Amino acid sequence: MIQFHRVTRKYGHKTAVCELDLAVSAGELFAFLGPNGAGKTTTIKMLSCLLRPTEGSITVCGHDTVRSPREAARNVGYVPDEPHLYDKLSGREFLEFVARMHGLGSAQTEDRIERESDRFAMRDFLCELTETYSHGMKQRLVFAAALIHDPAVLVVDEPMVGLDPKSVRMVKDLFRAATRRGTAVFMSTHTLSVAEELADRIAIIDAGRLRFLGALEDLGRQTAGDHGSLEHLFLELTNGNGRAPEDLAARSESDGCARTDDNRRG
Amino acid sequence: MAAQEPTTIAAADQAAHPAVVGAEGLIGAADEAAAFWWLRRRIARTLVRQTFRRARLRLVMVILLSGALWTMLYWLFAEGFTFFQSAIHTHQLLDGAVRAVFGMFFLALMVMLVFSSSVILYSTLFRGPDIAWLFSLPARAERVFLHKFQEAVLLSSWAFLLLASPMLLAYGAVGSVPWYYYAMLAPALLAFTYIPAAAGAILCLAIVRWLPRGRFLLLALVAIAVLVVAAAYAASLVTETTADFFTPIWIQEMLGRLRVTENRWLPSWWLTTALLSAARAEAAESVMFLVLLVSNALFGRQLAIAVAAKVYRAAYSRLHTQRAVRRRAGAAWVDRLAAALTPMLTPQMRLLVIKDLRLLRRDPLQWSQFCIFFGLLALYFISVRRFSYDSYHVVWVHMISCLNVYVVGLLLATFTTRFVFPMISLEGRRFWILGLLPVRRETILWSKFFFAVAGSLVPCSLLVLLSDAMLRVDALVAASHQVTCLVLCTGLAGIAVGLGAKMPSLRETSPSRIAAGFGGTLNLVISTLYIVAVVLMTALPTHFYFAAIHSEAADLVVARLNLAPWLLWWLTLGTAGSLLAGAAATILPLWIGMRAFRRIEF
Repeated sequence: MIQFHRVTRKYGHKTAVCELDLAVSAGELFAFLGPNGAGKTTTIKMLSCLLRPTEGSITVCGHDTVRSPREAARNVGYVPDEPHLYDKLSGREFLEFVARMHGLGSAQTEDRIERESDRFAMRDFLCELTETYSHGMKQRLVFAAALIHDPAVLVVDEPMVGLDPKSVRMVKDLFRAATRRGTAVFMSTHTLSVAEELADRIAIIDAGRLRFLGALEDLGRQTAGDHGSLEHLFLELTNGNGRAPEDLAARSESDGCARTDDNRRG
Repeated sequence: MAAQEPTTIAAADQAAHPAVVGAEGLIGAADEAAAFWWLRRRIARTLVRQTFRRARLRLVMVILLSGALWTMLYWLFAEGFTFFQSAIHTHQLLDGAVRAVFGMFFLALMVMLVFSSSVILYSTLFRGPDIAWLFSLPARAERVFLHKFQEAVLLSSWAFLLLASPMLLAYGAVGSVPWYYYAMLAPALLAFTYIPAAAGAILCLAIVRWLPRGRFLLLALVAIAVLVVAAAYAASLVTETTADFFTPIWIQEMLGRLRVTENRWLPSWWLTTALLSAARAEAAESVMFLVLLVSNALFGRQLAIAVAAKVYRAAYSRLHTQRAVRRRAGAAWVDRLAAALTPMLTPQMRLLVIKDLRLLRRDPLQWSQFCIFFGLLALYFISVRRFSYDSYHVVWVHMISCLNVYVVGLLLATFTTRFVFPMISLEGRRFWILGLLPVRRETILWSKFFFAVAGSLVPCSLLVLLSDAMLRVDALVAASHQVTCLVLCTGLAGIAVGLGAKMPSLRETSPSRIAAGFGGTLNLVISTLYIVAVVLMTALPTHFYFAAIHSEAADLVVARLNLAPWLLWWLTLGTAGSLLAGAAATILPLWIGMRAFRRIEF
């Protein structure tokens, strides 16, 4: 569903993402972890066709995000970390516009809006202007907009930020449901417990380079005997305290791209 | 919600099965256009409804002020064209003079439209908060561009229409033109507007795509070059002529200097020719130039769309992957100077003033507007030197010097509304900093007031001094203008700071929105009334007084209204009254503002 092929993105002379190679398949929940400034948001922006790779390519359902951005975007539902809503539209109007842009007919649009308003319990406020919404209401609307066209890929940047426990539970259920029906979920997060609980595979990125790619159990196996929690492993990989990253990188799964030149880092 | 979610999500899960979609699943161009127009209509409808419901005062003020401005412009243009007709007796010269006025007017506006549309498009196409979201939808890049381009045309052209329509209608009324002159005004102006807007759009896309790093420098250099050329050209126009004023030779000489507007490649010349041909009842010629304008407008639009389709996404990506320049920010010489010049302030107040000064100078959007408008006024004041200084003109020179003071005041009123009034509101979100400091709330307001007075008094006084120096008015008059300037600056600052504290919009982060709200509108209205009151109390009696002294002709007004015995009283009481009004405008709003600010909960 998603394929990164040796993707590099530079900001001037600074490399934000370096030769990223990874693939996410249908029905998989993929957690993309990393400290602040590691390159997570840049990766997600490239995946959702906003930024172009300096080198390499990204395909979504076989569509190149640079050569065929519309076809790629048609297959993606994107939930940004700071979503934009038109203040002067109601939630229903917002969903209607998104549905129209995805080519849904009138009847189908109505059905989908009903479905999403049930799914996210939005009936009470869907006809009010979005300028009056709380953060949680906005987040629910953005999830609904991302899912209204049943995308094959759901890309979510920091889904849990600012959500109350009920909404966090709702998002988790949503992810499980989405992967059950075959949607590939690409989630960037700082909330390690969510990744630990939900992810089929995780990737840890630091300073633009992939430090680890694989299932959580692999990570645990590789570090067996040391510490158990993802938090500790994450800090170990991204801070360089404890083990040197190259030890882990060398043992990560072969199709991932935890690079052997990591040892250039101190 | 959590209790019901698992079941509802599970239910939805049964219904939805994602399918990979190819090019066949994409929305067609016509449907896409319809969706964007639908979006625009919905937003516009809500905005109109909210404006009628929540901002009636602002709406009424905007309509009244725009109507007043339009009527004044219409009257001025009608008088001007009537004067042309009475002063220029040769048909050919009259035609040339009108053509020169139209050509110069449209050429200047065309250049401004290129810049304004490119600046507006830069902020909406590349910095708009909705663009990232629109690009994540399967929308064509050229559709997103066109959506924003149409908005930019509207935004950059309303002022053009407000200025052009009274001139063109006045010309029609004075010249008794055929009906189709009026009929072609709207399509010709619309088509004309599209051409510089398209040029500005292509310029904007090209700069961001290929020169993203030097975009501001390049734009600034081009703007400076245009300003220098325009200033040099304006200077050449106002240099002394050998011929007497408004004689046929003088007109010929002026038309020769305006020949640049006659270039056949300029859309401004096409528009001028289309309209003047219609006015002369030359329908075929007029329609031909209208068609030329429309076809070029459509071509420009299509060219801009084609460029956008090619480069917009790439330009967006390139701009947003520029490495952010990290600016070192420390104490600058300006801050040290401000600290040295304010020994009379308490240390706390001085720190607050310097904090506001830093925020101001690090936000070029604020001070650049200030510089542009005050710079334009300075240019105008310098060119005022064209007046002859013989005794015949003393009355008029004096009147113009008074009017200049009040133009400065009116400009200052818009700036205090736009920049000083929102200052307290903008502290709302960061009040946890000031609120936790051992500072009395009054100190915060006094610092804002001091900052506003000091910041406005220096440029305003210098401008008024420049105007008086150029007009060579008496030293006494110049001194009285400086006093008036002080009264206006303190009063306007007091009103803006006081009302800003009384009616803050603590949740709003945009200063322009705060200024456009009810409090900002009220501030502008009260400031305007205050300026009018000061004008009535000081400028009018001063003007009549000097008229009575210097000119027999102007003395007629005084004599006819039987004002002579009262003039000195009016002058004395008016001056005292204006000082009192200044004190009241400063103290009263500040007192009200401080009371409110002490009680306010953040």
